[in-house]
Amino acid sequence: MTTNRTGFPVRHYSSYRRQMKWLLVSPLLVFFLIFFVIPVGLLFASSFNPQIIGQVGFTSELTLDNYTRFFSRSNYMAAAGRSVLLAGVVSLITLIIAYPMAFVIAKTEHPGRNTFLLIIVLAAMQLDMVIRLYGMMVILGDNGLINQALRLVGLIQAETSVRLMYNFGGVVAGLVQFALPFMILTLVGVIRGIDPSLEEAARSLGAKRWRAFVRVILPASMPGILAGSLLVFALSISSYIVPALMGGFRVGVLPIHIFQQVAESARFQFGASIAFILFLLSAGAVLVYLHVGSRRSGGLA
Amino acid sequence: MGRRIPLLILVLAVAGFSYMLLPIVVVVLAGLTAGEFLTFPPQGLSLRWVVAFLQSDKYLSAFFFSFKLALMTMIVATVLGTAAALFLSRTRFVGRAAMRAFFLSPVVLPGVVVGFALFAFYISTGMGISRTIWGLWIGHILYSTPYVIGTVGAALAAFDISLEEAARSLGSSPWRAFRRITLPNIGQGIQAGSIFAFIVSFGQFEVSLFLSAPNSEPLPIAMYNSLRYQFDPSAAAAGIFAITLVTASVLLTNRLVNIRRLLERQQP
Repeated sequence: MTTNRTGFPVRHYSSYRRQMKWLLVSPLLVFFLIFFVIPVGLLFASSFNPQIIGQVGFTSELTLDNYTRFFSRSNYMAAAGRSVLLAGVVSLITLIIAYPMAFVIAKTEHPGRNTFLLIIVLAAMQLDMVIRLYGMMVILGDNGLINQALRLVGLIQAETSVRLMYNFGGVVAGLVQFALPFMILTLVGVIRGIDPSLEEAARSLGAKRWRAFVRVILPASMPGILAGSLLVFALSISSYIVPALMGGFRVGVLPIHIFQQVAESARFQFGASIAFILFLLSAGAVLVYLHVGSRRSGGLA
Repeated sequence: MGRRIPLLILVLAVAGFSYMLLPIVVVVLAGLTAGEFLTFPPQGLSLRWVVAFLQSDKYLSAFFFSFKLALMTMIVATVLGTAAALFLSRTRFVGRAAMRAFFLSPVVLPGVVVGFALFAFYISTGMGISRTIWGLWIGHILYSTPYVIGTVGAALAAFDISLEEAARSLGSSPWRAFRRITLPNIGQGIQAGSIFAFIVSFGQFEVSLFLSAPNSEPLPIAMYNSLRYQFDPSAAAAGIFAITLVTASVLLTNRLVNIRRLLERQQP
């Protein structure tokens, strides 16, 4: 920046300013380097070390054994497949539930009501996931509110229950709860950015409101739909807490396997290889997300 | 407003909001129930579980541990994040977008993996901070700073930098121009960002999983450990306090910055 907008020359301090600017970012860069890049890099490096129970840290002995083990054991491959399937299903369901919510928020013009809705979404997003899962478990558990209500009206026998959690469906229900606010906030911006005259044009050409929605608004919100789905995919494939509580360790996804290998069996190198595979799946979705949403990514999402 | 929204979409949206909010309402009711656990139909309200929470060693100490950790995290995340946001708003070097994405990436990358990486790093380097509040602190800073960068970045995007340049060209020192012109303009954004950093740390679970120990247990971990075995209503009572804290924080954020503008797409 050699001149400012008022036209005054500011060249005389520009190089000084450039150095000052880097001083601003260097503390965080150093912090991220030491406590993010190096630890994660060392972890991935150690996944190429032979598995020695109880040993932590990178050694110079290299092998692909951990990856061979992962890709040759059907239960780990099944866990990877289950993780991807789970994240895919959650992205789709979250999109279906979130779209009408985002549409209503985007089309609410009254500033107070609009802010109120956004506050609700933001508060839900920021609230500790364990607390929200506690609520989900009270509702869906074997002796939960739904089963109690079903017994009360006599739809099921007194001592029986319908299995609503501790299975794949329960984990999906929990992850959708987790992912909804992220999807809503991604969609609201895109829907609001659609030129209202597009819809008006369709309407004035005789399209019914519903038809105008399906043919005009929905296609125009595709970038947000894609970005939101990828974001939700990355978030839900990474979650440990939701499969742990809603699946009761019966839905073996990659984060659960990482924790079991490391905390229960002290197999650090093999755990690191699963971590690396999970990281690649999640980061892959994030990279596509950044590419898709580069012009649209917001402050928080 | 109703006219522009098809009825079906409105109905689906109400159902969606119910799905999003019902578990939170249930936690509040479970914490206020008069019975041993929440039943349908409810057995009436009482404060017995709130009292039990306030007298329980486990949850109360975890609550204050989380509070302390969140305050410590907030301070560092606010300073580092604000400085980085200032840099990102003023630089034009080619890697700017990549650097921003790098700083925001912890939000979406697996917390379990990062927690595991830090845990192994602390042990293998002999830093002696695994399973202490210091080890947790570092992990939480990684996950809270992105929210500060996002919020302060939005405030800076709305701030006209030529104001500061005008002060500079009139002879102000860089620090003075920043303190007198820029800071007052983005101060509320910084405050909002620090509140975000606080709540994100307060509710952080995934990265804490590998880094906490029985004597240094944040509230989400303590609740998780009890929730694996039974539905303890005093955990729900602890949840009520957390819900109140988060709601108050978001309302405060709304007074500081325009939430609508913050959540809208920020143009580069």
